[in-house]
Amino acid sequence: MPKPKMIIDTDLHPAPIHEQVAEYLDEPWRSRYLRGDHGAGHPNLYNPNGVMKSDAVTEDGRRIERSPETMASHFLDVYGIDFAVMNPMESMEHCVSPDAHYSAAALTAVNTHFVEDWLPVDERYLASVMVAFSNIELAVQEIHRLGAHPRVCQVLLVSGSPFPLGHSYFHPIYEAAVEYDLPVAIHPGLEGVGIAGSGGTAGFVANYLEWHTLLATSYMTQLVSLVVEGVFQKFPTLQYIFVEGGVAWLPAIMWRLDKNWKALRSTTPWLTRKPSAIIQDHIKLTTQPIEEPDDINHFRQVLAMFDAEKMLMFSSDYPHWDGDTPDFALRQLDPGLRDAVMYRNALEVFGIGVGQHAG
Amino acid sequence: MPASAQIYVAPLAELPAGERRLISAGDTSIGVFNTGARIVAVLNLCPHAFAPVCLGKVGGTTLPSNAGEFIWGREGEILRCPWHGWEFDLNSGQCLTDRRRLKQFPVVIRDDAIYIEI
Repeated sequence: MPKPKMIIDTDLHPAPIHEQVAEYLDEPWRSRYLRGDHGAGHPNLYNPNGVMKSDAVTEDGRRIERSPETMASHFLDVYGIDFAVMNPMESMEHCVSPDAHYSAAALTAVNTHFVEDWLPVDERYLASVMVAFSNIELAVQEIHRLGAHPRVCQVLLVSGSPFPLGHSYFHPIYEAAVEYDLPVAIHPGLEGVGIAGSGGTAGFVANYLEWHTLLATSYMTQLVSLVVEGVFQKFPTLQYIFVEGGVAWLPAIMWRLDKNWKALRSTTPWLTRKPSAIIQDHIKLTTQPIEEPDDINHFRQVLAMFDAEKMLMFSSDYPHWDGDTPDFALRQLDPGLRDAVMYRNALEVFGIGVGQHAG
Repeated sequence: MPASAQIYVAPLAELPAGERRLISAGDTSIGVFNTGARIVAVLNLCPHAFAPVCLGKVGGTTLPSNAGEFIWGREGEILRCPWHGWEFDLNSGQCLTDRRRLKQFPVVIRDDAIYIEI
């Protein structure tokens, strides 16, 4: 199989070096961070594999994701990845913390850590500006603080939110993002934690298999909310990236939404065209965990039911347990889609090499 | 290498129950496991995403049961891939949840030593 000309990984998970993060914090936050307060916690559901790949360790036993050097040498080099968007672990938990002051301070320090201590190590890294839901003013301040940095490529939120992300409460985040021409990305994993909604829109689920499967329902909720509440009418240049939320559900939701819109348009008069058309212009999806039906052609047929050539971007999720390597993702795709998914859409949405961003 | 060449692995006594050994035959990596009941050899390549499956944990698993019931069994026979957690039956190579299976190699015990045929 020919290798694509480039590979851009839209979901890499480095772990912060906590001692370095603490250097960017004042008291009372610094001691609290060093005592191990990394946000609102986890859903406390059991995964027998662990959430981290057990073999993501160096020859001398160190975790690969805990250093910018080893992440580069043991992952980016190995798979020939040209750019990688960093979505930091042990940090997104702050996004759903009810404690607005500490979570904003901690995320500011973590964002600074990745900008100051990771980006200079390897030109392939791109950074996110992560912000918390609990105080929108502080979130907007943080976007203004880092939004113009040439290698900050997105605003990062999580897909579990106190109410759906189309709500006007969140619009100042989008207003700030478009000011810097930054896409907004959402990442799963905090459903049912802190101030986030439950891991399943019907209520709290019982085990990890249910929770992990139903993460896709967060994305359905967010998609419909963003479109119906008119976020893309209000912010016509906004691009929204659905990271790790699944792909195959999209056509069904688009069809259902279009059908309902035909009868209910008058309740949302700002929707002057079909919701599916808005979705195709504003939403990007990342591949991992790519769906794997018994017949690979069924998945490929689903990709033909929406504009995957424009909307889909490769992601590895490294070093999480359910990650997809570039070669694995590539094998699932029709040859005609491979360049678009492996790098072309990401080049465009992150502005790599064409604007102020890295290249 | 001729078909069905025998490759020396280890003295039988050096691979007690629950232990494994990784060996190389040219570019091929093979895991040799003592499940407690027998010695098995499988290709160190997960048929799903090509992970080094033989680095995974070996243990038991929950057996098919009624809803809400948990029956533990097959201790030592189940290899769990370190990448995506797929469980494989070391005896048959069969994945417990997918039609794919591990490639197995015949094991020969001769003069208290383990050999595999590839």
